Amino acid sequence: MSEMPAPTMTEPTVDPSVLAATPVDAQGTPRPVDAVFTVEQLAFFYGANQALRDVSLSIGRHEITALIGPSGCGKTTFIRCLNRLNDLIPGTRVEGRIDFNGSSLYAPGVRAIDIRRRIGMVFQKPNPFPKSIYDNVAIAPKVNGIRANMDELVEECLTRAALWDEVKGKLRDSAFSLSGGQQQRLCIARAIAIRPEVILMDEPCSALDPVATIRIEELMVELKSDYTIVVVTHNMQQAARVSDRTAFFTVDVSEGGRTGMMVEVGSTEQMFTAPSDQRTDDYITGRFG
Amino acid sequence: MSVAVDRRPDPASAPRLPGRARRLVRAHRARRRARLSELTRPDRVVRGVLLVAAIIPTFALAFLAYQMLKYAYPAIVFNGWHVFTTKFSLGNQYSTAVQVRHGYKAPKGAVYGILPLLFGTLISSLIALFFAVPISVAGAILLVERLPVRVQGFLGIFLELLAGIPSVIFGLWGIYTFGPFLSRTVYRWIADLHIPWLRGPTGAGEGLLTASLVLAVMIIPIIASITRELVRSVPPLAKEGAVALGLTPSETVRFVVIPYIKTGVIAASILGWARALGETIAVLIISGDLLGAYPHSIFDPFSTIATTIASELDSALTDSTGMAVHALAEFGLVLLVVTLLTNLGGRLLTRRFSAAGLPVGRGV
Repeated sequence: MSEMPAPTMTEPTVDPSVLAATPVDAQGTPRPVDAVFTVEQLAFFYGANQALRDVSLSIGRHEITALIGPSGCGKTTFIRCLNRLNDLIPGTRVEGRIDFNGSSLYAPGVRAIDIRRRIGMVFQKPNPFPKSIYDNVAIAPKVNGIRANMDELVEECLTRAALWDEVKGKLRDSAFSLSGGQQQRLCIARAIAIRPEVILMDEPCSALDPVATIRIEELMVELKSDYTIVVVTHNMQQAARVSDRTAFFTVDVSEGGRTGMMVEVGSTEQMFTAPSDQRTDDYITGRFG
Repeated sequence: MSVAVDRRPDPASAPRLPGRARRLVRAHRARRRARLSELTRPDRVVRGVLLVAAIIPTFALAFLAYQMLKYAYPAIVFNGWHVFTTKFSLGNQYSTAVQVRHGYKAPKGAVYGILPLLFGTLISSLIALFFAVPISVAGAILLVERLPVRVQGFLGIFLELLAGIPSVIFGLWGIYTFGPFLSRTVYRWIADLHIPWLRGPTGAGEGLLTASLVLAVMIIPIIASITRELVRSVPPLAKEGAVALGLTPSETVRFVVIPYIKTGVIAASILGWARALGETIAVLIISGDLLGAYPHSIFDPFSTIATTIASELDSALTDSTGMAVHALAEFGLVLLVVTLLTNLGGRLLTRRFSAAGLPVGRGV
């Protein structure tokens, strides 16, 4: 896995006319007071294709922020910008600004590896290491030099991920012996084992059945007290059930290509009851998407 | 207290299937007939050709094994367990004096011991594997994980070219260039360490180590090209999982790539091993040919089963009793068995590793 040089980064040149056209918070929603991420005018390119534009939002600490929108609207691309996972793809470029705890994520001198140790991620499909259940949780803390009683840490993380009772007797079994839902909870345990501040979840339930989905959702709400969670979801009910704030993305085809863009962001209640943009209203009422 | 009751129908009282089952069987047969009669003429031709093609390899193997066994049979009876001795001699083929054992004749003084050859075959191929497997795996991972796609394709061509070089060329290269070079440089240095088995005169570079190293070069393309495909097939999602945890590229290789490819690498190594076991001409040129004794050091001459069959066949054909050729056939049979056993062992090993729950073929 080659580490690509950090994508080039340009400081935003924000002139007032652009600001006027940028997405606004849904009416009456205050911005989060304590923001982990502050994103301004983010745009993302795969080579010459612009995949994302006009993303400006703040992600509040100990909140669950849901990203919703139709397929191809750049939700996944956006969430992968937050832990610089897109660095792995050659020829990609980021414009705009992402601040993580007040300092620029893409500034020169910031190592992506250090960032990723503070920002955990859970993927669309469970992707445990081809190792034992125990090792799946223990590997990352071990190589990242976390000094702790490993057995205690493994138990603690598996307990937090609501998996301990199901696996405590077979920690040495392969992770692949678990069911899909269990594997996904193992991946959550693996993510919290490095003690991150943020957990990014990219459609964590898309490969799971309804029962496993409910378990993951309960888990997200429970983890909120210790972690900041950003979750991409296709499932609007899920966003409504678990999130504190919701951002709506859509696809813009007006300039020929298919570019994802953020339409608006606001408290989940506001977004689902009184969105300020017609497109959001159309999407959540099922008129498209 | 219950008594076990045999609920199976009594064959005498129920000689025929019940009517419904009979009807089902009849319908199935009718469908099968209909399916075959629905075949058009070209269909039938294709079906016939495919059938023949499928049968040929099976028959070829069975026929080969039968011929080998038939040819080796007199030697198997004559040698008995004595085949597992050190000494090897075709005997005095110019004298009319013969020895008779179990009704089979052989020239006086003839002893057909296979042990040093078996040793030579196994040790040279294992040394070759010892060098080839790490080089192949490291090379394949480097190629796929670290180099740009264009360079990958370019270097891949070399790998395929290496696989296509005739083995006699490898033999000549080993004896004239590679061996003398190693003998002047690396071998001197190793011999000076005075480690048992790794010391002694290094000569002109013939012998066990050079032959093993040339074998390694010959099997690297086999193992490396399979490993390359294995590394390519590791799901990107699995690697991203490691990267997202802040693991470095080399940690990602260690914890994701290698566990994923482990089983496949074993299978690839078995393929390479089989090639090394049977390799004849390159080893014959480089080995220095030592019959009836074991090499004393890694620089000594040696022989393998395959090289001995090739080098002794000419003399064996002049044996008027015919036993020498039968003995070489028996050696060939032993080589066949060794190859089959390593193959079987590899299969068991891969199955054991797969049973450990590796996601082989599950596309996780």
